[in-house]
Amino acid sequence: MLNRRNFIGTAAVLAGATLISGRSQAASIPEAQTMASPNMQPPLFPKEGREYQPVVTLNGWTLPWRMNGGWKEFHLVAEPVIREFAKGMKAHLWGYNGQSPGPTIECVEGDKVRIFVTNRLPEHTTIHWHGILLPNGMDGVGGLNQPQIPSGKTFVYEFVMKKSGTFMYHPHADEMVQMAMGMMGFFVVHPKEPNLYRVDRDFVFLLNSYDIDPGAYVPKVMTMLDFNLWTFNSRVFPGIDPIVVRRGDRVRIRVGNLSMTNHPIHMHGYDFAVTCTDGGWVPESARWPETTIDVPVGAMRAFEFVATEPGDWAIHCHKAHHTMNAMGHEVKTFIGVNQRDLVKRITKQIPDYMAMGSAGMAEMGEMEMPMPDNTLPMMTGTGPFGSLEMGGMFTVVKVRDGLARNDYGDPGWYQHPAGTVSYEYKGEVKTAPPQSPEKKSDTPAIELNVKKPKGHTGNH
Amino acid sequence: MSAMGIFINLRHANLLAGKTVRLAAMLGVTLLAGCKAITPDGGVNEVAELTSVAVRQDLVIRDEDSADIIEARLKTLLLRPLSADAAVQVALLRNAGLQAAFNELGIAQTAMVSASLPPSPTISVARLSSVVELQVERQIVANVIALATLPARAEIAADRFKQAKLKTAEKVFSLAADVRRAYYQAVASQQTVAFLEEAQSAAQSASELMRRLGTTGAVNKLDQARDQVFYAEITGQLAAARLTASSDREKLTRLLGLWGSEVKYRLVSALPQLPPSAKAAPYIERDAILHRVDLQSLRIDLDVLAKTYELTNATRFVSIFDLSGMRNTTREANGFRYRTTAVQIDVQIPIFDLGETKVREAALTYREALNRLQEKAVNVRSEAREAYRAYQASYDLAKHYQREIVPLRKVISDEMLLRYNAMQIDVFQLLTEARQRIAANVSAIEAQRNFWLSSVNLFSAVVGGSSGSAIAKTSAAPAGND
Ligand SMILES: [Cu+2]
Repeated sequence: MLNRRNFIGTAAVLAGATLISGRSQAASIPEAQTMASPNMQPPLFPKEGREYQPVVTLNGWTLPWRMNGGWKEFHLVAEPVIREFAKGMKAHLWGYNGQSPGPTIECVEGDKVRIFVTNRLPEHTTIHWHGILLPNGMDGVGGLNQPQIPSGKTFVYEFVMKKSGTFMYHPHADEMVQMAMGMMGFFVVHPKEPNLYRVDRDFVFLLNSYDIDPGAYVPKVMTMLDFNLWTFNSRVFPGIDPIVVRRGDRVRIRVGNLSMTNHPIHMHGYDFAVTCTDGGWVPESARWPETTIDVPVGAMRAFEFVATEPGDWAIHCHKAHHTMNAMGHEVKTFIGVNQRDLVKRITKQIPDYMAMGSAGMAEMGEMEMPMPDNTLPMMTGTGPFGSLEMGGMFTVVKVRDGLARNDYGDPGWYQHPAGTVSYEYKGEVKTAPPQSPEKKSDTPAIELNVKKPKGHTGNH
Repeated sequence: MSAMGIFINLRHANLLAGKTVRLAAMLGVTLLAGCKAITPDGGVNEVAELTSVAVRQDLVIRDEDSADIIEARLKTLLLRPLSADAAVQVALLRNAGLQAAFNELGIAQTAMVSASLPPSPTISVARLSSVVELQVERQIVANVIALATLPARAEIAADRFKQAKLKTAEKVFSLAADVRRAYYQAVASQQTVAFLEEAQSAAQSASELMRRLGTTGAVNKLDQARDQVFYAEITGQLAAARLTASSDREKLTRLLGLWGSEVKYRLVSALPQLPPSAKAAPYIERDAILHRVDLQSLRIDLDVLAKTYELTNATRFVSIFDLSGMRNTTREANGFRYRTTAVQIDVQIPIFDLGETKVREAALTYREALNRLQEKAVNVRSEAREAYRAYQASYDLAKHYQREIVPLRKVISDEMLLRYNAMQIDVFQLLTEARQRIAANVSAIEAQRNFWLSSVNLFSAVVGGSSGSAIAKTSAAPAGND
């Protein structure tokens, strides 16, 4: 899925299949690679330079690089992209090298890194290297540390990697708009000593959010907190790749948050240790156990576990509305309201009307109804036992026996050993009589009306 | 036997087709009386001829002979939901005021005959189509004018009879126009009621749902009250619309002259569709000058005065177009003449050397009449312009609703339903949208009604008759949002 593309001149177009050699090697700037697929690409093992265990990016890829006189050279292109959020929905975003988020950049502690940034956006941009220790003039704050990169221009960032760790990159010019449009990426610096903090599988993804009106394609860039699409790497369930793990592997998951609110990321089936933040590695003595790690805004958390327990384990943001796709916040609660007799009357004015919500919203997960263009159901997805009723920031960690060392392919649903699945009790059930909601008068007995005031978007 | 006589008989044959022996008897009478002094129709057939195309209907004097036939015809007309044309026909058969005007005409004819004047002159006209098009109206009203502008040597009594015919023709035009106006108004009001009933039903559903949400505790009293008050308001609007519809219908009933069980007549459920385009009428002012019966009646006043004062020495002739300030005329051999698609009409007005009379009163009276004629001619032009502008504007507006607003409302409704399916909005927003769509439809009906009213007004401005009041702009549309 890797496509070559030349931004410099016609000479490089003729470059052969070998990525970092031949004509492009001779060029003064590395050829910019672009990615057409929104699916997870295999890890990119280094062919030269220092050895390391590469990461895999959920629904993403790692940017190829070349060595040039002792410098590791990358080429990022800031440009408009079309990103598929899940089958049935595409967003018109800004990103890097064909996708949003941009490709993951991987290098090694001590590397001399040179990053060319070509601006194909209609406005200027910069890149800030979040968390990386570097000279002040390379920090990428437009106007403060450097002039912004005008449209059509290419700037060069050069710095030496002082330490290993997990970082991010994003614009620092018209920052709110450019981030709301999807401009961000992961930056992993591996330890110089390849066995330090070594894991068998190393996954990375960013947390981001968008506000795209149902039927529209472009995010509303002025939205502050009331986003309607909560994404892992600009994807929503069921469009997010599963995290596929071989049983017994040591696994690291690195989660960076470049959205505008915190996300408590919860993984089922395991307790894990938090081993790294964007500030650096947590010393072994200071690591702490969790089942949910809250990732603050503008921060990164990495956690590790040994995949001892086979199965399909959910991993998701624990803000329940972040595991939903776009929904209307003004929709009233119809639970317990009989609408059946009114349907006939309403269909006189609205012929295709169907009553919903009288028993809750679960029916939404199963219903197939015509929707606005380019809109995903609020809750959707199907598992081995039926409707999954999820969306947004949700995927599955699939722990399996017998996978090949670097096989990240989806192994399908977990086959449960006999007698290990919850089952229906067929005997008599004795319970206290339920509280009847029917006896209420027109004025409900509930005195306290807990409702957020309108207009205040509060915390998300 | 004149061509006109035959034509009138044909019209009778048409009206009474397949009827009794009396038909033949009546025909016989008419044939015999065609060119004679007192006719059994008292001049009504000539009026029918004057107005035939313009109102496209039969005129019959109601008497012992015709009563049964009229009633039979009425019964047939009332069997089906009335169209605008059928309504006009009913009124022409039944409106007692019109019958009274016919009787008056008979009296005028009697006066003419008792003055032993020569018989009415005959003119030849072609059989005309029955489409209300200004082209056709021009033809028929041209005939009116041809009748009215006979050579000046005609006797005064004959002139007065001609005037009486013109006045009766005007009454026919007026009644027909009033019936059409009342008809379009009544149909539109009835249609509005139907839409408001839908809006009320939507509001009722919303209100009932809100009440139930109140019972479960999902909404507070404020939201419930807001929805209930909206329902209450729209119920009030509906009641007002029903009252309007009922009085609009009663107004039409009066003009139709119906009573008893006949008042249960049915109307079509919707206004006629807009024509594909508005009529172009570049010569609307000239058309009006040529056709207006009231103008022609004033023209006859001059003849009468000339005869009364024995003014014989016309020094020159002016065109009625000169009189009204129209200059783009066609000069022909013997003065200003105007050619229409049907008949050549002489619209010359004699100007006398008023010095010839020693009677100062005569001179002043003639000048007064001339000034009145001029005033009328200028006003007729203005009225025609105004009516045409209103006609065109109301067409554009009605088309705008039909082409833009109503289809866009449909798109909005469809998209809202998709959003509902996607849990973006709830049923209350759907119902609010349904009400807004209904409101747009009500406005579209008003616009369509206004077009038909203005087309009637245009007709009146060109041929004469009641001009109708300014078209109401008030809206019965339900409030869109709460
Ligand atoms: Cu979240």
